[in-house]
Amino acid sequence: MSRRPLTAWAFLAPYAVAVALLILVPALLNVGYAGTDHTGLTRDPRFVGLANVRRLLDDSFLVDSLQASLFHVALAVPVRLVAAVGLGLLLAAPRPGGRWFRTAVYLPTVIPDVALAVLFLWVLNPLYGPLNQLLGLVGHPGFTWLADPTTARVGVVLMLAFPIGEGFVVVLAARRMLNGRLYEAAALEGCGPVGQLRRLTLPLLAPVLVLLAVRDTILTLQVNFVPAYVLTDGRPANATLYLPVYIFDQVFEFSGFAYGSLITILLMLVTAAVITVQLVMVRRWRVLR
Amino acid sequence: MAWRWIGRFAVPALVAAVFAAPLWFMVVGSLRPAGLPPPRTLEVLPAAPTLAAYRRLPELMPLFTYLANSALVVALAVPVTVLVASLTGFGLRLLTPPARRRMILGLLALLLVPVTAVWATRFELFRLAGAVDTYVPLLAPALLAVSPFLVLLYAWSFGGVPDSQLEAARLEGAGWLTVWRRLALPQVRPATLAVAVLAFTFHWSNFIDPLLYLHSGDRYTYPLGLRFLLLLNPTDWPLLMAGCVIATAPCVVVFLLAQRILLNDSPLSALRYGGPG
Repeated sequence: MSRRPLTAWAFLAPYAVAVALLILVPALLNVGYAGTDHTGLTRDPRFVGLANVRRLLDDSFLVDSLQASLFHVALAVPVRLVAAVGLGLLLAAPRPGGRWFRTAVYLPTVIPDVALAVLFLWVLNPLYGPLNQLLGLVGHPGFTWLADPTTARVGVVLMLAFPIGEGFVVVLAARRMLNGRLYEAAALEGCGPVGQLRRLTLPLLAPVLVLLAVRDTILTLQVNFVPAYVLTDGRPANATLYLPVYIFDQVFEFSGFAYGSLITILLMLVTAAVITVQLVMVRRWRVLR
Repeated sequence: MAWRWIGRFAVPALVAAVFAAPLWFMVVGSLRPAGLPPPRTLEVLPAAPTLAAYRRLPELMPLFTYLANSALVVALAVPVTVLVASLTGFGLRLLTPPARRRMILGLLALLLVPVTAVWATRFELFRLAGAVDTYVPLLAPALLAVSPFLVLLYAWSFGGVPDSQLEAARLEGAGWLTVWRRLALPQVRPATLAVAVLAFTFHWSNFIDPLLYLHSGDRYTYPLGLRFLLLLNPTDWPLLMAGCVIATAPCVVVFLLAQRILLNDSPLSALRYGGPG
């Protein structure tokens, strides 16, 4: 079987080529284009040095955009993670009809982004949307949701709290791989459900949870494009002008291709910074032992 | 005993209801008559259900053109996705364990690259290649197996094919492609179904790529058509909800085929053939 490694690489080759051409080369091109005056319309970009960087430092829309993105990550990642992990653990145990409960939780994930966004335009409608009417049932006057900067951001997070299927399935599978004997032993020692969750399940799942948190940070920074584009288009008062929306505007609407490339690099740096903070916290709190 | 019952069934049922609620409101909203004033109280069941909104859809937009375009893209992209994911997953299976571990770490790292990071420059590459306003760029995610997640799913499933079987097939003179197609793939049919279903929901729902690359209206896929409908009739809720139901229904139907595997009591063993299912 000495030829096996070579064969393995042959099977991996198409994917490797696709990754190189569709991810690595474009990612590197960002760096090249960021120093030019390319508009996306002509064929010959000119090198302009740090002109785009100067523009970046003096851009108040970008400050709004950064604020919106960071607020969104700070709220959406914990909400989505707690939902995915909580529901995964709640519904992992076999029980009659268990699969149907899980199916119900997964269903919002299969709704196409646009359809979910259009649906939430209806759900968040201040006058006759179901959400305000539900609030009405408990005597609350309701919110104006997408018309107000803060509630608009909360509305987007609320919508993204539903499509959590990927993390949910990963937690289901990971929980299943934990050793049942440990739980029997813990029960014999008089460790109740809460103790089992705190002392066994969460520490054992820690690597998976860290991966999910990091993955969700990145997903959250980019998947908010469709909801923000369809629900609010960056309004009101730039409250939902998340970085991907701003990049889209620059590159595809305002012919600011080079400037968009530079903001893309900034988005990658922001993502890397947020993830670094997460990993530092993981180390500080000794989550991974 | 009562507490146990609450924990095992009542709480999960409540959670299930919360997550099913958006879909429910979508369907109920689509069944409202058009002229009726919007409801002022919560409407759990439609007052006078009618399919009028669905009949008006094809009158207001080229519904069937959009659906046919979407179907064409899905018919091309899903097989490509399954092919790339399964080839790559089988390649990982053949690597030595240390090399496999390194590659899997590499895939996990790839899972972390945001798509946004390559929007602009990937568009530029396709523009220079003259592929804008064709369906070629929509196949780009398929060539990347949609997500490293799907590759990992295959890699796990192929892990269940014993070394001895691979060796035996090789000794009998089968080429590696034959081993992959005739020996390995039949053992991971549940994984193929799961990957195909996840690929279908991705490509059917894909909004960003068509938005970036498709400019002529007659090439729009359905998600773009839905946005077009929203721009045209921003307050015609029964109509918009009917549009959403049509966008969602294929995904729900297809997903129900795969829930037996993905949401199994033990999903990892269900992916391999003959696992409890």
